[in-house]
Amino acid sequence: MTGVDELDPVIHAAARLKITATLATVPDGGSMSFPRLQELLDLTAGNLATHLRKLEDAGYVEVEKTHRGRVPVTYLALTTTGRRAFEDYTAALRSILGA
Amino acid sequence: MNENTPGDAREMLDLIDGQQRRVSRDYRIPVVWLYTVWAVAWLVGFLALYLAQLGVFEPVAGGVVFGVLIAGSIVASAVIGSRIGRGVRGDSQFAGAVYGVSWTVCSVAFALLGIGMIAQGLAGDFAGLYFPSAYALMCGTLYLAGAALWHDRLQLVLGLALLAVGAVAPFLGLGPNLLLMAVAGGAIFGAGAIVTLRTLGTASPRR
Repeated sequence: MTGVDELDPVIHAAARLKITATLATVPDGGSMSFPRLQELLDLTAGNLATHLRKLEDAGYVEVEKTHRGRVPVTYLALTTTGRRAFEDYTAALRSILGA
Repeated sequence: MNENTPGDAREMLDLIDGQQRRVSRDYRIPVVWLYTVWAVAWLVGFLALYLAQLGVFEPVAGGVVFGVLIAGSIVASAVIGSRIGRGVRGDSQFAGAVYGVSWTVCSVAFALLGIGMIAQGLAGDFAGLYFPSAYALMCGTLYLAGAALWHDRLQLVLGLALLAVGAVAPFLGLGPNLLLMAVAGGAIFGAGAIVTLRTLGTASPRR
């Protein structure tokens, strides 16, 4: 049986878990802008960027920098690996709880 | 909880549910407002036309109240609608844009059809039967499209109800058809607002 210690350490931190849970609500093939994500998470821009970097390094989040007119916008999306990791993580939590 | 300290399984599962509820709520609150705005517009607007038909108001006053409410609701819908998908892009963005434009395009097309028929001699009484039903049928059809696009059963039910109202109303004759539009329209859109409001606490996927 899975134990808490065996859970994915990249996701198993409150801030990164909330980021992943939020991006998982975006349909496949879609992405969410950095300001919108920040608004939904109530995190500072610096804090959010730090956690996003860890998720990006793990290959869970894809970052795309683009422009809307002349304004630079960053869009974030879960990669297939990230989406699967999130699903595996929630399944593992339910398994621990016997749900 | 400390941001970097792993919590227990229950705490983390609650964190996921809580966050996804928050996201879902953020998307659905504008939808509640959309339904509310249109419930008021249909109820008060068609009631004004009905009372004008009965002679309680001047016909022009009834028409102005109706026109102002509908125009105001269209503007409010455009503003509220633009907030629903803000900050999110992807395949659903194209579907949303086409769906949004469909309302304007269909409204103009149905209006032109009515105006064309009036130009060809359609009597005012018949126009009074055509326009309310045409718009109820248009709304019903677009709600069915919305239901198909976003797998939304609520829109399916509302769409079918609007189609039924639009199809039945002409049988009542001019006057009672307007009263039916007021009561049924207010009830249908009001039900949409209430049902959406009641689901705000759940974490189901968007729309």
